[in-house]
Amino acid sequence: MRSLYVRSFGSKLIWGLVSSFVIVVCVGLTAQTEETRMEIQTRNWEGRGIENGAVIFANNCATCHGQQGQGLQGVAPALNSRYFFTRRLGDVGQDGVMTLSNYVYLTVAAGRPSKDNSQWANRMVPWSSQFGGPLRGDQVVDVVAYVMNYEETALQQTASEDPFQPFLDVAKPPEFQNIGISADAEWTPVQLAVTSVLPMGDRDPDYLFGALACSGCHKLDEPQAPSSMGESGPNFGTIHELGTYRPEAAADPAAYIKESIVSPDAFRVESYDDAMPDDFASRMTEEEIDRLVQWLLDPDRVTHTRDAEGNIIDE
Amino acid sequence: MSVQSPAPQKKPWFLALLSALDGIFVYLTAGISTREFRAMLRGDAPGRPNTRLTPHADAFLLHIKPSYYHESVTRFTHTYRLGLLSTYLFLFETITGIILMIWYAPTPERAYVDMIRLLNNVPFGQLMRDLHRIGAELMVGIVTLHMVRTYLTGSYKPPREFTWLTGVLLLVITLFLSFSGYLLPWDQLAFWAVTIGTSMAEAVPPVFVGEIINLLARGAPDIGASGLLRFYLLHVLFLPLLLILFFFVHYYKVVLYGISLPAQEEEVGEDTANRVPANRRVYYLPEVLLDEGTFLLAVTAIITAVTVFLFQAPLEHIANPQQTPFHTVAPWYFYWLQGLLKIADKMWAGVIIPGVLLVMLMAIPYLDRNPSRRGADRRVATISGIVAGVLMIILSWMGTPAYAVQGAPALEVVEKLMPEEKVGISRKIGYKHIPLGTYDSREPITTDDAEFAKLLDEFVHLLEVWEEKAPDFNDPWGLLTVTQDQANLKLLRWEITWISNAGTEEYFKQDYWLHKDSYYWEQYGRKKFGVPEFLEMQNGG
Repeated sequence: MRSLYVRSFGSKLIWGLVSSFVIVVCVGLTAQTEETRMEIQTRNWEGRGIENGAVIFANNCATCHGQQGQGLQGVAPALNSRYFFTRRLGDVGQDGVMTLSNYVYLTVAAGRPSKDNSQWANRMVPWSSQFGGPLRGDQVVDVVAYVMNYEETALQQTASEDPFQPFLDVAKPPEFQNIGISADAEWTPVQLAVTSVLPMGDRDPDYLFGALACSGCHKLDEPQAPSSMGESGPNFGTIHELGTYRPEAAADPAAYIKESIVSPDAFRVESYDDAMPDDFASRMTEEEIDRLVQWLLDPDRVTHTRDAEGNIIDE
Repeated sequence: MSVQSPAPQKKPWFLALLSALDGIFVYLTAGISTREFRAMLRGDAPGRPNTRLTPHADAFLLHIKPSYYHESVTRFTHTYRLGLLSTYLFLFETITGIILMIWYAPTPERAYVDMIRLLNNVPFGQLMRDLHRIGAELMVGIVTLHMVRTYLTGSYKPPREFTWLTGVLLLVITLFLSFSGYLLPWDQLAFWAVTIGTSMAEAVPPVFVGEIINLLARGAPDIGASGLLRFYLLHVLFLPLLLILFFFVHYYKVVLYGISLPAQEEEVGEDTANRVPANRRVYYLPEVLLDEGTFLLAVTAIITAVTVFLFQAPLEHIANPQQTPFHTVAPWYFYWLQGLLKIADKMWAGVIIPGVLLVMLMAIPYLDRNPSRRGADRRVATISGIVAGVLMIILSWMGTPAYAVQGAPALEVVEKLMPEEKVGISRKIGYKHIPLGTYDSREPITTDDAEFAKLLDEFVHLLEVWEEKAPDFNDPWGLLTVTQDQANLKLLRWEITWISNAGTEEYFKQDYWLHKDSYYWEQYGRKKFGVPEFLEMQNGG
């Protein structure tokens, strides 16, 4: 009976044993390297999460928070900032309560309403679909991982390098001002000029341009040309030569600019997203808006240097 | 039978123990004594009456198997054991699948995260996933080969027509099993392959029927939570149960009619598979069992070794319904359908042609009236089978992005160097081989890094290739700008400028980020994980 087979009984047994041995060796090798493999995989997927976050950040957040996370004065705070990684949590009273990562997560997911009187012109909108935003939960997680990845460079910043802007919505008793930075006394945040906004009424256009954070997105002294486009909003250096984007506006530039201030979504150049706040009509009087428009259209407009209360100090 | 039992003798204690052990052995083997077992191992012929047949009568699992085979059909080259292997792979998939189910929840919020958790935190998790994946691909292949073998030896002819028909159904179920599992990782690959697949069902006429089928499969107009749950239930419950049902019908018929003999061994029109002369019998115990056991062990060893050293199941970015990948492809076993879709409209290519093909495949035994199974008598059948096979391969090739799908040249160039999904040269050489700086394709390559020089070389080369290939892509030049975006994170900005036929300058830009720790799966073999320097090498990047 055995002769009918190609291989003998014994050699089959040996083949079976060899195969079993191969299986045991393969599984054994795997077992031996599992610890390393899991560590590499963990880092791999963390790395890829940051890569994904970078794409989301560039597409959605960089307009206001800056391509390098440096923030935009009057629009959105810096994230690539030593202050942000060392002090922010304490300033909102969450030090030791929550982690910065969770704080960022909550802010991205649910948004952060700004008070009208703070220097941040835009409200951080909710980004998670859970709160009506455009991002899925995993995308929020990835973008948080990206923001947290600024930590290493941010902690190396000196005072002059930190693009930090004060969070004026946080009331800080003076005795708590220096908490958290005693180890590095050389670093003290530089307070920026605008601290409050004057009441509505007879305010100067150049004051409004700074106080309402128009200057955050619109540069006054640079032309809007194909070679020099404003990053977040059109540059206003050549605003008196209207019609580049909307030919019919050339006939009545003042009306066009006014419309853009009062209802920014009425006409928007495609390359800009809808970062322009739509509540300026309620933050200025009609007269103030008209004067602002005239001031913008004046090629020889003057911008005064002002103190924190808005008083002109350059004359 | 003894008329009178002999007077009980007192045995020494060790003999009594041996006899008790023998009893346990007989109990466990459902009727094989240790003496008989030793005879089997020695290769002795069975005695008369053949006590080795008892397990076939007493044991459930063995009663399904025939107690002996015709010697001719036990030769490896007659069946290649493909049917056995298909069944084994189903068992293999069931076991690995159940283990994977422990770490998986079929919801869009968890499915992909669970995949990563499985890879990151579960010992042997990646091995299980890789084994399950490779087993699934293999099962489709082996079941198909089993059908090809049956076709070429003419084994579908009477009385085995119905066996063939159930076999075709089993092939279809296998394809759907594999396809339904495709969606479960919830990555881009899965999501879009299944979106394409289910959209074919939409073409079933009349329109409202197609829409209803599509809606039933997806659970909503687009695949989402309901669709995932439905595919999961199909994959782990409905299709396996259906497969088990048809398997038993199929296997019952196989045992009932016996495995068809090599055609030369019997007269044309006769079927003598079940009339095995005593001198040509090969008993299942022990010869065939050992044969099958060894074979399956060897196959398992090969699968395990290949998986451990060479194979990684892909996992792309998380499914994003808002973003269609550059090239969406069906699973490889549906390439031929995708190829058909490129040359015919959806109703023909997605419904009518596959439907007719399936019915024709099942009807082959009823259409082929030629009684002979000998190769010399079935030239028409053999040649048409080969033609059909070649057609399938050509259609499959047409289904790949290589045929009649071409994106914008600039996008194709970047996609080759740093694709949206998968690896590409840039990710293959990795973070540490991509130095910061700006590199212009028009300038000579100046870099100390040989790997990076190869990448730049390929950049220049691809621009030339596409300049020749694409009519509207003149004088292209490229820029690669590498900047340090964050700690351990580089930004690669690919920019390509070219002159269109209208004479205007066109521009394309694509940004990709690369993290130091991100490791793309094609890039490493598991064996490297064991090398201690491997981690250090990564740290030192």
